[in-house]
Amino acid sequence: MAQVGALILVLGALGFLVSQAGDNLRARSIPTGFDFIEQPPGIQVGEGIQTRDFETGGRALWVGMVNTLRIASAGIVAATVLGVIVGLARLSHNWIVQKVSSVFVETLRNIPLLVQIIFIFTVFTTLGNVSLDSGPIHGWLHISNKGLSVPRVFGLNGSFQWLAFMAIGALVARWAHHHQVRKQEETGQLGYPIVAAGGVLSVFGIVGWFAHPVMGFLGPVFGLIADALDGLPEETLQLILAVLSIVVAILWIRRFLKSMSSGGGRAKLTDDDWFRMIFAFAGSVLVAFAVLVVWPGLSSWLLNSGRDFFQLLDDRFGSGNGGRPFDGKRPDIVKPGNFANYGPAGLTLTPFFAAVFFGVVLYTAAFIGEIVRGGILAVPKGQTEAASAIGLKRSQALRHIILPQAFRIVLPPLGNQYLNLTKNTSLAIAVGYADVVQVGQTIYNQTGRTLPVMAIWMLFYLACSLTISVVVNFFNVRLKLVER
Amino acid sequence: MSDAASASVRDLSGATNMIECEGVSKWYGDFQALNSVSATIKEQEVVVVLGPSGSGKSTWIRCINKLEHHQEGRIVVDGVELTNDLRNIEKIRSEVGMVFQQFNLFPHLTVLDNITLAPIWVRKKPRGEAESAARALLDRVGIPEQADKYPGQLSGGQQQRVAIARALAMEPRVMLFDEPTSALDPEMIKEVLDVMKGLARSGMTMIVVTHEMGFAREVADRIIFMEDGMIVEVGTPEHFFTNPTEDRTKLFLSQIL
Amino acid sequence: MTDQQTTDVAEPEEETSNLPPKVPRLPPGEWMKKNLFSSVGNSILTVVFVLVILAITRGLLGFAFSPERRWDATATNMRLLFAGAYPQNQFVRMWVSLGIVVALGGLSTGVWRAGGRMYLTSLLLKGYGVGGAVVLVGILAPFSGSARLSYFLVGGLLIAASFAVQSATDEDTTVGTLAVGLVGVSIAVGSFWVIPYGHHAFIDGAQVVSDGTVAATTKGPLTVMVILAVLTYFLGREIADRVDAGWPRKVLSLSWLASPVVIVFFVLRDPDFDYGHIATTEVPIFLAYAVGGGLLLFALASPRIGEVGRIIAAVTLIAAAATFLTPMLQVIRILALMLAVFALAAPTFSGNRAARLRYVTVWAGVVLGLLWLITAINSPATVESNSSFFTGGLALTLIVASFTMILSFPLGVILALARTSNMPLFRVMSTTYIEFVRGVPFITILIFFSVLFPLFLPENMEVTEIAAVTIGFTLFSAAYMAENVRGGLQSIRRGQYEAAEALGMTTAQKTVFIILPQALRVSIPPLVGQTIGTYKETSLLAIIGLFDLLFVARSLIPNQTSFIGSVREQLLFASVIYWMGAYAMSRASQNLERKLGVGER
Repeated sequence: MAQVGALILVLGALGFLVSQAGDNLRARSIPTGFDFIEQPPGIQVGEGIQTRDFETGGRALWVGMVNTLRIASAGIVAATVLGVIVGLARLSHNWIVQKVSSVFVETLRNIPLLVQIIFIFTVFTTLGNVSLDSGPIHGWLHISNKGLSVPRVFGLNGSFQWLAFMAIGALVARWAHHHQVRKQEETGQLGYPIVAAGGVLSVFGIVGWFAHPVMGFLGPVFGLIADALDGLPEETLQLILAVLSIVVAILWIRRFLKSMSSGGGRAKLTDDDWFRMIFAFAGSVLVAFAVLVVWPGLSSWLLNSGRDFFQLLDDRFGSGNGGRPFDGKRPDIVKPGNFANYGPAGLTLTPFFAAVFFGVVLYTAAFIGEIVRGGILAVPKGQTEAASAIGLKRSQALRHIILPQAFRIVLPPLGNQYLNLTKNTSLAIAVGYADVVQVGQTIYNQTGRTLPVMAIWMLFYLACSLTISVVVNFFNVRLKLVER
Repeated sequence: MSDAASASVRDLSGATNMIECEGVSKWYGDFQALNSVSATIKEQEVVVVLGPSGSGKSTWIRCINKLEHHQEGRIVVDGVELTNDLRNIEKIRSEVGMVFQQFNLFPHLTVLDNITLAPIWVRKKPRGEAESAARALLDRVGIPEQADKYPGQLSGGQQQRVAIARALAMEPRVMLFDEPTSALDPEMIKEVLDVMKGLARSGMTMIVVTHEMGFAREVADRIIFMEDGMIVEVGTPEHFFTNPTEDRTKLFLSQIL
Repeated sequence: MTDQQTTDVAEPEEETSNLPPKVPRLPPGEWMKKNLFSSVGNSILTVVFVLVILAITRGLLGFAFSPERRWDATATNMRLLFAGAYPQNQFVRMWVSLGIVVALGGLSTGVWRAGGRMYLTSLLLKGYGVGGAVVLVGILAPFSGSARLSYFLVGGLLIAASFAVQSATDEDTTVGTLAVGLVGVSIAVGSFWVIPYGHHAFIDGAQVVSDGTVAATTKGPLTVMVILAVLTYFLGREIADRVDAGWPRKVLSLSWLASPVVIVFFVLRDPDFDYGHIATTEVPIFLAYAVGGGLLLFALASPRIGEVGRIIAAVTLIAAAATFLTPMLQVIRILALMLAVFALAAPTFSGNRAARLRYVTVWAGVVLGLLWLITAINSPATVESNSSFFTGGLALTLIVASFTMILSFPLGVILALARTSNMPLFRVMSTTYIEFVRGVPFITILIFFSVLFPLFLPENMEVTEIAAVTIGFTLFSAAYMAENVRGGLQSIRRGQYEAAEALGMTTAQKTVFIILPQALRVSIPPLVGQTIGTYKETSLLAIIGLFDLLFVARSLIPNQTSFIGSVREQLLFASVIYWMGAYAMSRASQNLERKLGVGER
C-alpha cells in the first residue's frame, strides 16, 4: 500500500514538474530537439582528434568525449602510480620521506580541486612565450605559456607488422615464463621466469625491428575477412543479434535459478529475485525488438564498421615494407602567425590539458595514497606475525601475504577514486579544456539546445561510471575471500 | 581426569638442552612484562606454562620466536643465541614452529597453499614434494579432505589444526603454542588437544601456554607457573596439582579448579 | 528530533584521560641514525629528499616574497574576499554573525568539556621545528639584510624560549590543548595591535594605503571575538557544572542547527517586516494550524485510536495534496503537507498524556519556525547590495555549504532508509536516484539547476539563482549522504532489530528509537568527511559565476584597475583559507573518531 502510494506520489510530482517544464519551454519557445546532432554546429574546439569544420554536432560532441576519455584514462594510470608511491612513502621508516608524503597528502586533499586546477593553469599562462630556449633541457623539454612539449615517438606503417611480431613474441614469452615457474616448482632450483620472459620479448622486438615486413601477409587475410563481412546480408546479422540477446537472457536466468537451488531443493524466491529475472528477460526482448524493428540501422552500422576496420588493417599491413616501424622527433617550433607555437613534431600538452591533468592526478593521488596506506595497515597484525613465524622473509611476507590481502581491501575505494577522477575531469570547463562538458556548453550557447545537451552529458558520464563500476566489481567478486 | 595424573613422567636427564633462557626481561614503556625469566627446556620435553592472564606467558614464548624483542638477558635456541642479526633470526624461526590463539591462517590462500607456502619459498622445496608432505600432515591432523578449501570455509577447530600442520610443515624442532584453544568453542577444543597430544607422544619439544588443566596434567613433563612476569613455581604435574609450595600457586589453583 | 537522537553524541571525557601515547625519546644522534640513516639506501633517500625540499622551499619563497607580488591586493580586498559586496555601513552585522558562531562554539566547548591535554615536550618539539623553519625561511628567501636578520631573531627567540621552558619544567608536564590554542590566537590577534602590518582598504571606492597597524575596524572586533570565546567557554563550564548536562546540550545542538537560518535571514539580511500584513495573515494562519492541527495531532497520538487514526492521517495527506489544485498562499500548502507528515508519524510517538502534549508542542514550534522563516524570506531586506545576492566571498561559501549539509541530512536519511527497506519499490526508486546522482559530475547538476531550474517552476514563482543552486547542491549531496548513512545502518547487528521486535515495537518506532540513533553515531566520521567535501565543492559555484571566495580571488580582484593580473597571489590566499577550514575539520573528525572508538578494528 505504502509503496504504491509513494510511487504515485513520486510519479505525480515528476509528471507535474515535466508538464510544467514543457509548458514553460513552449511558452518561451525554447527548442528541445536532438536535431543539432545531425547538423553542422559551426564551432571550433581547442584540441582533439578534430578541431574545426565539423560535419555534424554529434561529431563535435564525440571529439569532446574522446578528450574526456583521454584525460581520464591517462589520469587514472598516473594517479595510481603516484598514489601507490605516496602510500608506501607514508609507511616508510625514513622520517623525512614519511613527513614529506604526509605534507603532500594533507596539503592537496584539503584544497579544492578546482582551485588547484585554476592555479596550475594560471602558472602556465603567466609563463613566457614560446621561444627556442624556453626549456630547462634545451631542445628536449619546452615549457611556455603554450604548454609543455616533449619528444614524441610515433608509429609508422610498419609498426603494425612489428606489433604483430610482438604479439607472437608475447605468446612465446608467456610460455617461457610458465616453463621457468614450473621448473622452479618441480625441482626446487631457482628459476628466472621474469628474466626469461623479458629476454624472449626483447629478442622478438629486435628481430622484428628488421624482419617485420614478413608479417605483410596478414594484410590480404584481413582483406578476405572484410570482403566476407561485406557479403553478409544485413538481415542475417539482425537475426543473429536478436536470437543472441534472448539466448543470453535465458542462459542467465537458468544459471540464476541453478545458483538458487541446492541439493535440498530450490530456495524461496524473493520479490527481488523475480524482479531480476523478469527484468533480464524483458530487457533481452527489448534489445531484440530494437535490433529487428526500431533501429535496423544498427546492424548495418555494425557490419559497415567491422568491414571498415578490417579494410583499414588490410591497408596498414599491406604497406610500409622496409624502413623503421617507429620514429621519434624532438619538439619543433613553428611561427604560423605573429606568435610562435609548438609544431606537430613533439608531444605537446596544452596548458588546458596540463592544468586539468596535473590537477586531477595530484589530487586523486593524495586520496589513493591514503587508501593504499590504510589498506596495508588494515591487514591484521597476526598475518605478519604468522608469516614471520613460519620463516618468511620481510619481502616474501609482503609479496605473498600482505599485498594480496591489502589489494582486496584497497580495490573498492580505489574504484571509487577512479570514478571521482573521471567525473572531476569535468572541471575542465573552468580552464577551457575541450572536454565533453565544454564542447556541449559551446554547442548549447550556439543552438539553445540546453536540455538535450545536458541529457547527453549525463548519459555519457553515467556510461563511464557504469563501465568503471562493472570492471571494479568484476575483480572485486573474483578476488573476494571465501567465507562460509 | 583421575588417570591423567598417572601420566608417564619421562626421564629426560640425558637429553640435550633445546632452549635456555637466562634472566630475560622485557618492558613495554614503563610496564615490565618479563622480570628476569630463567628456564631450560630439554629436547623432547613438553612444558606447559600456566598463570593468570597478563602474567607474561605469551610474551615469553613470543620472545623465544623473536616476535618480541627482549631487552635484557639471553635466549639460546638449539645452541644459537638470539641476537638482532637477521640471518640468525631466520634460522631460528625455521626451527621453531608457532601456533597462535587466533590461528592467523592466510585467508586468501587455500589450506594446501597455506601449508606449502613456507616450504616452497623458505626451504626451496619442489612444489610436488611440498604438496605431498602437506597432504600427509593434513592426514595426521585428521582433515585430509579439506586441502582445497579456503580457511574461511573451515570451523575454528579445523583452522587451528591447519595452523598446526602449517607450522609442522617447516619440520621444526620446537613447537610453541600460544593459547591454541582459547578462541575455540568447547566441542572443538578436544580435536585440537588430541592433535597436540599425538605430537607430544611423537617426541616433539613443546612449550604450551594454555588454560586446559586436563591437558597439562596428562601430557606435561613439567609445569611452569608464572605471575607478574616472573616464574613463580616449576614442577611436575603431580607436584603442581597435589601439593604446590607457593601461596600464589595455591590461590591460582583454588580459583581455577 | 527526538530525545534519543540528540543526547550523548559525545560522552563527557575526563580531561586527562585522552592523553596521546607518549613516545620514548631518543637522543638526537641515535634518533637520526634510526630514522634517517639506517641503511645506505635510506641515507641516499634522506639526502635526495632534503635537497629537493630545499629547492622547492626556495622556489616558493622566491615566488611569495618577490617584490613583484601584489600582496597588497589581498590586503586591500580582505572585505571582498570574506564577505563579498556586503555594504560597508552595515558590516557590523557580519561581526555579529561571527560572534554568534564564536559564542556557540565557546559554549559548546565548555558544555561538552572538549579539549584534552598534551605533553609539554611535544609542544616544545613543535616550537623547535617552527623556530628552525623561520630561520630557514630567513636563509632561503630573497630578503634584504635587515629583514633576514629579523627572521633569524624571531626564529632564534622561539628556539631559545622552547629551550628555556624545557629546562625549567618536568618531562611529564602537560598543558591543555585549549589553553595552547587560546595563547596562539591571542598572540596572533595581539600582533594586530602591535606590529605595523599596514592599513590597506577600499573605503567608499577609494583606495587607502597607510602605514601603522591594521584598521581599528578589524582588530577591534577580532579582539572582542577572542574575549567572547573565553567568556562563553567559562559560562558553558559553569552551566555544565550547575545543571544536568542533558538539556544544555539539546539546546546547543538545536541552536547550531538554527544558527545558519538565523544568521542569514535575520542578522545579515535584516527583513523589513510589514507588521500589518503579519497581524492580518500570518498570525491567523499560525493560530489555525497550531490550535487546529494541535488538537488533531493530540487525538491521533492517542494509543487507543487504532485504524481510524490511519484513515484520518491519509485523508489529511490527500487534503494537503489537493491544496495544490486551487490557488492559495504557498505557506498554507506547505504547512498542510507538514501537518500530514506529523499526522502520519503520530502512532510512532503515541503514549500517555505528557508524551502527546510534547508531540503537540513540537508541532506548534515547527509551525512557528516555518512561518517565521517563510515570512522573513519573503520580506524585502533592508540591506542593499549591488549584486544579485547580498553577500559573497567566504561568507557565501559557508552559507551555501551549511545550508546544503543541513537540508540534505534528512533527505539522505530518508533515501538510506528507503534503500535498505524491504519494500522493493522503495528500494528501486531510491537506488536509481542515488546511483544516477553519483554517476554524474557535480558540475552538470550545478549547470542544470542554474540554467534550467526556473523552467520546472509553476508560473509566477520566482527563485533566485543561489536558491536554485543550493537546491541542486542539496539533492546532489543527499545521494552521498544516503550512502554514508547506509554504511551506518548496515553496521548494526541483526540482534538489535530482533531485540526491538521482541519488545513489540512497530517498524517506525524501531527505526526512530533504536536503529537510527546507533547508525547515525557510526556515520558521524564519514559525515564529517562529507562536510569537508561539500565545503570544497562550493568552489564550483565560481564556474557558474556566483561570487564565492574562488570567484572573488580569481576573477574580481585581478581585474581591479590597481591590481591587474595579481591572480596567483589571490589564488594562493584562497587556497590557504580553504585549506585551513578543511584541515581543521579533518583533524576534528580524527579526534572524534578516536573518541567514539569507531573506525578501529
